Amino acid sequence: MTRPAPSDRMTVSSMRIVLTRWLVTAVLVVLAVVTLYPLVFTVINSLKTRAAYSADPLGFLTDITFDNYIETFERMKVWRLLLNSIITTAGGLVLSTVAALFIAYAVTKLKMRGGNYIFLFVIAMLVIPSQVIIYPLYETILDLGFGGTYQGLILAYAAFGLPLGTYLLSAYFRAIPDELIEAARLDGAGDIRILFSILLPISTPAIAALSILNFVWMWNDLLLPLVIMGGSDKKTLMVGVALLSGQYDVSIPLISAGLIVALAPVILVYMLFQRQILSGAIAGAVR
Amino acid sequence: MAETANLATAPNRIAGARKGFVRKETLIALLFVLPGLALAILFKLVPLLRGIWLSFLETRGFEDPTFAGLANYRTMLSDPSVHDSFRNALIAFATLPVWIILPLVLAFLLFQKTPGWKFFRAAFFLPYMIAPIVVGIMFRQILAPDGPLNAVLRAIGLAPLAIEWLNGPTSALLALTAVALWSFFGLGVLTYLSGLSTVSEEVVEAAKLDGARFWQLLFYIIMPLLKSVIGYWAVLCTSGILIWMFPLIYALTKGGPGTATVLPEFLVFTTTFQFLDRGLGAAIGMALFVFVAIVSAFVVRRMYVEGAQKK
Repeated sequence: MTRPAPSDRMTVSSMRIVLTRWLVTAVLVVLAVVTLYPLVFTVINSLKTRAAYSADPLGFLTDITFDNYIETFERMKVWRLLLNSIITTAGGLVLSTVAALFIAYAVTKLKMRGGNYIFLFVIAMLVIPSQVIIYPLYETILDLGFGGTYQGLILAYAAFGLPLGTYLLSAYFRAIPDELIEAARLDGAGDIRILFSILLPISTPAIAALSILNFVWMWNDLLLPLVIMGGSDKKTLMVGVALLSGQYDVSIPLISAGLIVALAPVILVYMLFQRQILSGAIAGAVR
Repeated sequence: MAETANLATAPNRIAGARKGFVRKETLIALLFVLPGLALAILFKLVPLLRGIWLSFLETRGFEDPTFAGLANYRTMLSDPSVHDSFRNALIAFATLPVWIILPLVLAFLLFQKTPGWKFFRAAFFLPYMIAPIVVGIMFRQILAPDGPLNAVLRAIGLAPLAIEWLNGPTSALLALTAVALWSFFGLGVLTYLSGLSTVSEEVVEAAKLDGARFWQLLFYIIMPLLKSVIGYWAVLCTSGILIWMFPLIYALTKGGPGTATVLPEFLVFTTTFQFLDRGLGAAIGMALFVFVAIVSAFVVRRMYVEGAQKK
């Protein structure tokens, strides 16, 4: 036989396919391990005693202790920080979304002269990141009397979330036919009612995507709360974690517990809204 | 109601009434855009203008600032730490091909419905959800001299590679970029996946039947179709290297060793709040702003084209 029989060739090529499959899966598994391991490592450390950690830093759990969590809650005043984070994130999220709703409605549904310029002006603010204006921004907030207050951080969050919100909601409103609004107007509905009881319910997907995005960055942001709240008792959870990790007497199990506490709310949101987050509505919207 | 009745009886008033209606609509529109405009102006435009002004002032500690012309910019141009920070940014940019290609390859694998693709998609996106400051502190442990990374390297016979990652100038910058990539690549995977969802599977299947290999498919079929998504993600990564790194640097290296991991955004922070040279900090901020603005202008243009009133 000089040539392999057709059936042999089939086997060779199908073996190739099987082999590639395995290789692809292996690569993906390795990457998933790389992605998940740091989290697992941190969870394990957070459940170790100091002694167990120094005896075997990389080992698995022998016995579980929750002392680190108890100590973190006391030392970081976690409840207070959690409350601060919730207030500022919720405030920033709501204010930013409402302001964006009004602008999006005005520039898409009210025949406003120069509406496009206003739209452009607001989304152009995206080119100004907080990092480059951090001191003048802080100064402005101080001048308004909002230094170290919830209002200061909420207003800053709202302003930095505004360009994306305006863009997302405007694009969404554009797709809603004007006839719907005309009909509501003929029924005697005012603009506020049209916006909140007609457009708002239709726009739930856009608002959901926007809220998830805003929640994630506002909750996770460090620079704005670090500068605006500083060391005050109104600092957010992320500032608390950053400051705790800078203290020298903090053990790794303790800081690990702090990290888990800080990221738990986001993980919870991720699990609850996995479908929306992974569907791609978010990815296309991050700027 | 009364107005409608009037309109019916006096047709010549229609024009006047409509004019009044238009004016009322403009007024409402103005009221509606006001809160947002106030936010944008007060907390973005005004600080930017104040930043420009501040960059022309000489500020020493807590003394009253005095006008100094371009002095801060001159200091900036001759300041080695400023040079270092922009040089470090350039080095970080050299890793951009990985930032762009790796998520693309992964997205393409997941797009082909590899077994378990839903799990992998969820796992890859998880890091993006975690606060960069938390990521940074986590990786300080992972990258520690006796940390798990070095333990793995020693276990697989690569002991010479098990170095003090955050203590060598090159390895620290490399580690910082790698951690940033760990944190953001999942967003790239999702971005590409949402782009791929517009690609018909028939095109891919047809090319496969023609005997196209994976890389051929990727380079000749997928990449041309996703040109705009790739461009968008590349822009995002470029601006990301300039403005996403602050919490990671803060947690991992505080800019060290020396100035090896100082990026411009971190230098703005330390110059302003640590060395209390607010004028110089503002000048560096403006230099960084120019770069960020050029890059993100592409994103804004795309947003404007998608969201503005079509004429």
